[in-house]
Amino acid sequence: MGTRRRHLFVLLFVLGLVAVSGLVIATKETKLGLDLQGGLELVYEGQPTGTASDVSGQDVDNAISIIEQRINKLGVSEPEVARLGEDRITVSLPGVTDAERAAEQVGTTAKLFFYDWEPSLIGPQFLIGGRPGQAPPEKVIKASEERWKAAGRNPEKPLNAQLFSGGAYPTAYDAALLAAEQEPIENCETCSVSKPRYYLFEKQPPHELVAGPEFTRKDLYISPTGEKRPKNGIVVKVPTGTIVVSEYPTDPETGQLDETAEPAWFVLKDQPALSGDEITDPEQTYEPQTNLPVVAFQFTDEGREAFAEVTRKIAERGQARAIGPVGVEEAEGLSGRFVVILDNEIKSAPLINFAQNPGGIDGRTGAQIGGGFNNIDDAQELATTLQIGALPINLKLISESQVSATLGSQALDDGIKAGLVGLALVIIFLLLYYRFLGLIASIALGAYGVIFFALINLIPITLTLPGIAGLVLTIGVAADSNIVIFERIKEEVRAGRSMSSAISAGYKRGISTIIDANVVTLLTAFILFVLATAGVKGFAFTLGVGTIVSLLTAVIFTQSLLGTMSRSRVLRSPSVLGASGPGKRWHYDFMGASRWFFSISGVILIVGGLALATKQLNLGIDFESGTRMKVALVDLTNEEGVRSTLEEAGISGEEVQQVSDPNLGDNVFQIQSHELGPGEVKDAKAALAAEYRIDNEAFESTSVGPTFGQQVARSALSALIFSLLVICGYVALRFDPKFAIPVLIAIFHDILITAGVYSLTGKEVSSGTVAAFLTILGYSIYDTIIVFDRIRENVPRMPRAAFSQIVNRSMSEVLTRSLATSFSTLLGVFSLMVFGGATLQDFAFAMLVGIASGTYSSIFIASPVLTAWKEREPGFVRRRLRIAEIEGGRVPAFADDIEMAKLGRDDEAETGTPRRTEAPAVEAAPGPVATVEKTDESGNGSGILAEGDGDGASTSSERRQRNAERRARRQARRKHGRNR
Amino acid sequence: MALVVFFTMGIALWHFTVFVPDRFWQGIVGAFIGAVVGSTVFGLIVQEASGKSLGDTDISTALLAIPGTLIGLAVVYFLGVRAEEQPD
Repeated sequence: MGTRRRHLFVLLFVLGLVAVSGLVIATKETKLGLDLQGGLELVYEGQPTGTASDVSGQDVDNAISIIEQRINKLGVSEPEVARLGEDRITVSLPGVTDAERAAEQVGTTAKLFFYDWEPSLIGPQFLIGGRPGQAPPEKVIKASEERWKAAGRNPEKPLNAQLFSGGAYPTAYDAALLAAEQEPIENCETCSVSKPRYYLFEKQPPHELVAGPEFTRKDLYISPTGEKRPKNGIVVKVPTGTIVVSEYPTDPETGQLDETAEPAWFVLKDQPALSGDEITDPEQTYEPQTNLPVVAFQFTDEGREAFAEVTRKIAERGQARAIGPVGVEEAEGLSGRFVVILDNEIKSAPLINFAQNPGGIDGRTGAQIGGGFNNIDDAQELATTLQIGALPINLKLISESQVSATLGSQALDDGIKAGLVGLALVIIFLLLYYRFLGLIASIALGAYGVIFFALINLIPITLTLPGIAGLVLTIGVAADSNIVIFERIKEEVRAGRSMSSAISAGYKRGISTIIDANVVTLLTAFILFVLATAGVKGFAFTLGVGTIVSLLTAVIFTQSLLGTMSRSRVLRSPSVLGASGPGKRWHYDFMGASRWFFSISGVILIVGGLALATKQLNLGIDFESGTRMKVALVDLTNEEGVRSTLEEAGISGEEVQQVSDPNLGDNVFQIQSHELGPGEVKDAKAALAAEYRIDNEAFESTSVGPTFGQQVARSALSALIFSLLVICGYVALRFDPKFAIPVLIAIFHDILITAGVYSLTGKEVSSGTVAAFLTILGYSIYDTIIVFDRIRENVPRMPRAAFSQIVNRSMSEVLTRSLATSFSTLLGVFSLMVFGGATLQDFAFAMLVGIASGTYSSIFIASPVLTAWKEREPGFVRRRLRIAEIEGGRVPAFADDIEMAKLGRDDEAETGTPRRTEAPAVEAAPGPVATVEKTDESGNGSGILAEGDGDGASTSSERRQRNAERRARRQARRKHGRNR
Repeated sequence: MALVVFFTMGIALWHFTVFVPDRFWQGIVGAFIGAVVGSTVFGLIVQEASGKSLGDTDISTALLAIPGTLIGLAVVYFLGVRAEEQPD
């Protein structure tokens, strides 16, 4: 495929992608995180109880399964339950406003009980389903039929018939009324529930169940999602000693409970035979003789006795019903059952066949439930139910974060505004600085924005505030890739190449730098994603995906766009690209001045060290644990007023700070205290609402427990260490092992300066701050890589120059590019700081410090350290000595081409090789005095042109250069031999 | 936190080794290692000996890093000088 065709193909491909992306954006909704839409996030930690000494992955997965079942009953739309690390579970509940109720309903330990079925049934239900082998009285059956029909359910329908024949009631209301008639058992110690429970039903028939069971009437009216519950509904109190349970019919095809069907209801005497705590090691296995699926389990000592007792009773009752000896099949119709009930739902009702087990089941070697499973899934489901009921873990709430819909929506508006302004600023900068190339870059940025946003909707990536920060940062990354290439193209144009040749060479040479820099950013994002806590994962994922997309749009797309236009009239004049004239070339003795910059860094670090020692770091609740609330009040008050209101509500020891919020005004308070439970947060909110009224529900709270704080700190440290190792490993592999150490030192420098700045300013350090900073570290190495890349390129081009001269030359060539990339990123950061709202401003501050220290250290720390270290190598020591000989004892800051040529002649004289003419030097470099000058790039002589960039014009120059290099190598080898 | 302070002070003081003739073992990188190891090890020993916890820092914690850094740098410098004086 020809070049032009290839360019056209890429253009069409990207444009097609943009069109498809537009379609995706129009048709698919963006999935917003809780911080942008409001809601509740709970983090639970599984803690071992009873016999288990640790929490296994299976335990956590089982806990997730039961939490999902409970959330489904809450009616929350798009909930998310995910495992976090080894033993933590995050639960995201959009739209949920009552943290206490949600936490109560979601995180309580699952209760599993075994009941002896028949004797537990009450009244008409016992007469129908409690006497196997006996026909129920006609009158009772008729009454039951009428009850089902009155409820609008046909008892002859197959799924209903299963339940009807067992004696079930068609509605929870009917069952609750039956239960309410029972005598209470006071102080019942053997019951599964020790208190009466309440149910709320709709007033109008068929009296749908609205809420319950709850331990208080008040709780019936509090919905975790804030939905209104009917005040005029019917409340039924079920006394202690009686429970209402539901049962779903079994799907005849799958043999599993059909939870999509309508359940029926039973009323039981609450006398469980044993509980899930007395079951151990439940698992799905196979019956050895028949190879059919069974569920096997063991018991604790107490459990074994209880199980043996209940199965013995069931078997004896069955035998009493039989007249004479009966076979296994006949016994089945007369045998009783025990039922497995989890969270008031019947999960299984195995039969105890008295012909097979005349004395019940001993349970010494465990027990198994089998024979009735249609397939393996059926058995596995029961095994899971038993595992959940026998879950040896307690779910401890370790973090809770609540954002009101109002604040979430404001945060979203702020984030969008910051993103758009950031994009606009970067585009303006590109247009002003790069003119036509800037226009190309802006088109690419537009394509990048559309494709990236479509990917967010398509994957889908849950968009969070940290994710928006990552997105804005990737705008900078995308622009940077263009800047790196454009500066290269401009260099090539100024060196006299034709436009198409310059574009081709610019991309060819820029791409390795871009890949190196983006790989480092990707590695950091990946490490953050793997190791960081949930909120930061969104940031890391967005950054990673954005970096990959930017490679497509900023490199491949723009190359094709420019390639297609390279022969057009528009690109005839270098001025269109901003490449007219000699261009700016820094001529500054960076290495000579480095000792003064080292001193400045040393002084800054001493100040930082003293601040860290005396003021330490203001670690946020993410690390230290505690509760933070933010509330906007309607009635004017002050910090003292808020504090006394909270004290009256029983919440003391808190710090109250009045803050100003651009959206909420000045009557906004931030309250920080020791860790409060969801109930205490609710009390605080209620007290403030009663006293001062809360402005449009603008309330948010975050509670972090000590273990979660430690986890956050540990993961931040791990992310830091891994990032350092991986980045250094990559630099060592791609460049030279010696290049990795200065990078490492520069990173330490950046981290400690940032820590010092945070200590001095007293700004809070949160997990988000650490994430933003870690990412910026990766991104800041961008600058170092740009400089090191050019040093690597210049080393073979300048075979007689001292290393400091090579570095000075490299720095002078790439400084503009480094400054431009940092500036374009700073525009995004600036936009976040101004428009981003409180959370994004925290990210932006960390990014600002990171970019500033990163840019500084790549120029004034990493490169001088590399220089000082490399100059100790024998080869560079010899170069310095030779240069000093010619220059009267000093080594000039920049390689003087005349002197270099003289060195070449000396070499030739020494070896007897005839001298060839070097390319004439146009300008002699200045001495080591620190000056900044404008110079003509082409005037820097053979160093650059000798590489063969001159469109064929420099072929002889190239040859001369190669010969000179060969001579230098021979000379060095001979000298080395003599020395030895 | 004391560890961070020792580390910061060690690196801070290392910056001024550019004014000392480069005779450190492994040059500027060797000096870096000497400064950091010296400040951290010396600081930890003294902090431990004085019965202070690592989270307990004040101005003396920062000052404590100075002798450690200087000792570390001196050791690396001595090693460098000795290596230079030894014939190949």
